[in-house]
Amino acid sequence: MKVRVVSANLVVKLKTFYRERTAMFFTIAFPIILILVFGTIFLDRDTLSLDLYVQDLDHTHASAQFVKALQINGNFKINEVGPASDAREYAKNHRLNLILIIPKDFENLLNQRVDLKAPNASVTLMYIYDPSSTSVKTKMEYLNMELAGMNQRMSGKPPFYRWEETSILNRKYRFIEFFIPGVIAMAVMTASLFGTVNMNMELLQKGIIRKLSTTPITRTDWILSNILYQFTLAIISTVAMLLVSYGVFHIDLKINVWILVFILLDVFAFVGIGMILTRFVQESQSAVAAANAISFPMMFLAGSFFPIEMMPGFLQTFAGLLPLYYVNEGLRASMIFGDNLAALRYAAIIGVFAAIVFALGIIATRWEEAK
Amino acid sequence: MAKPAEHAIEVENLTKRYGDLLAVNGISFNVRKGEVFAFLGPNGAGKTTTVEIIDMIRTPTSGKVRLLGMDVTKEKLAIVPRIGVLPQDFSSFDRITVRETMQFYSRLFSRAHADIDGLIELVKLKDKAEEQYKNLSGGLKQRLGIAIALVNDPEVVFLDEPTTGLDPRARREVWEVLLGLKKKGKTIFLTTHYMEEAEILADTVAIISKGMIIATGSPGELVENNANYLVLTLQSAEANAFEIIRKMGFEPVHDNHQDLKVRVEHTEDILKALNAIKDAGGSFLSLDVRRPNLEEVFLKLTGEALHVGPTEGGEVL
Repeated sequence: MKVRVVSANLVVKLKTFYRERTAMFFTIAFPIILILVFGTIFLDRDTLSLDLYVQDLDHTHASAQFVKALQINGNFKINEVGPASDAREYAKNHRLNLILIIPKDFENLLNQRVDLKAPNASVTLMYIYDPSSTSVKTKMEYLNMELAGMNQRMSGKPPFYRWEETSILNRKYRFIEFFIPGVIAMAVMTASLFGTVNMNMELLQKGIIRKLSTTPITRTDWILSNILYQFTLAIISTVAMLLVSYGVFHIDLKINVWILVFILLDVFAFVGIGMILTRFVQESQSAVAAANAISFPMMFLAGSFFPIEMMPGFLQTFAGLLPLYYVNEGLRASMIFGDNLAALRYAAIIGVFAAIVFALGIIATRWEEAK
Repeated sequence: MAKPAEHAIEVENLTKRYGDLLAVNGISFNVRKGEVFAFLGPNGAGKTTTVEIIDMIRTPTSGKVRLLGMDVTKEKLAIVPRIGVLPQDFSSFDRITVRETMQFYSRLFSRAHADIDGLIELVKLKDKAEEQYKNLSGGLKQRLGIAIALVNDPEVVFLDEPTTGLDPRARREVWEVLLGLKKKGKTIFLTTHYMEEAEILADTVAIISKGMIIATGSPGELVENNANYLVLTLQSAEANAFEIIRKMGFEPVHDNHQDLKVRVEHTEDILKALNAIKDAGGSFLSLDVRRPNLEEVFLKLTGEALHVGPTEGGEVL
């Protein structure tokens, strides 16, 4: 390995990157845009507040108190629907997924129950809902839970089953803090994979590698400079993502040496896969298609954007076969939980994978022309 | 330890096979130090395969190649710093400037003190030194390729079709650069399918066809040995000129411009033919007598035309 040769190659690659706006956009700006968009979308998930439309047909002090209780205890944001409206039509016309109807006799029935004039008196609240809505079930479950709590309190007896929540974390982490390590892993993967595929295909097809093979640069120098280049880009991209995340979302993630370790392993693994692809795929379009076929399932099934616990069992098993899963989990173990042992375990797995793939990539890299 | 070599390049029974295709078929030749050696042949003749084996881009199927006295299959690391290569269809990094490209290659050869400005000037790219590669024309790109091939001050320079695809003006600009290198005494191995290029630049020409060398010598020797006749081209006002010459026992043809072309063995035959037309009352609108060129030598030896594109030389008779 010749430092002078490796650094010369690295400088040329970095200058090319600096002068290539598209590459700059996809490596640095795109992951940041992703963080800003998803971070904003899921910001509400951390401080849950659901819109609830209520049609109060009773219009009494008791019904008003009931609505107020829902607002305070249930974290619902209440919107009123006029008593003259047809609730079903109103929901259809205004594209609402749920309207809660408080019936006319609400206060009367409540008083009978409280005054024990009719101890078994009950009131039926009506849910007008749109079953095609994906979020209405969650909203109805929250509402049911809140109503169950009210029923319990009205009984005047303390509940038998109580519970206490103890988080395994020192604090509650937010979705964005789960999301950032995943985006870092994903961005490094795509930059390394596509960067290697595109660059190698271009240099092969333009004959630049043929020219380089007549100079003292060796295959090892070439691959090493490629790794250094991708690692440098990954660091720049990660720093940019973290700066934006701290600045905009005030994230609370641990910055430690594990980030560098996982980024490096991520780079080695996917540069290796990129090198193998360019060996076996002849056309650049086919190589990009093959890279897409590898990266897309990885992005969505390896838990970059959402926890794999949300996926069906067989997909969770499948996720365990994806290298990106171990980068995601390793970064989260170190950045969120500060769990060095878990980080070490994940690093060992992705490290072995990266070593094998990278070795195969070196073997697969064509230096002498094969016609 | 490499022995001092009399020849810069020694090729013996070189063969290259791609599956069933025999691209190079047991060729042997030597290139003296300081000479310009041209490999002349049509596309697919085996020129590039041969040069790429010698400059170590490819490996041979069999045979021996010694470059500067060293075996190319065993001593690549020792040979590479002493040669310069302009591969076929040379290309470089699109967004890197001419000067940066030169600096990059000089660093690859660990030549901290390479005369980059001098080389840029040599290939007449001084005005384009800060221009990115993608903005250069085809001719300028080739000139940059030649400058890169010289960045390590090589003893042997390989130029694989350095002017293919260039317009006539750009081609002549590249020739000027190569003539400058020739004056400096560099050993140059050139492949081309332009006979004019070989005639102007080469000390020795090897004609290659279907993977085999079919003739070797200086351009003059090749013509002398293989096409020892003269070509008379004329345009006459006499309508029967064609018939008059044919009756004299010659085999005239009309070329693309409807000029009359006649191959003759001796200068006296020219006078006879011209006098016969004159005696018949004819006059001449144009007249040209010349020796055959390598194009005609190639045609005679192989039965196929050398050019794939428009020619710059005379018509093939």
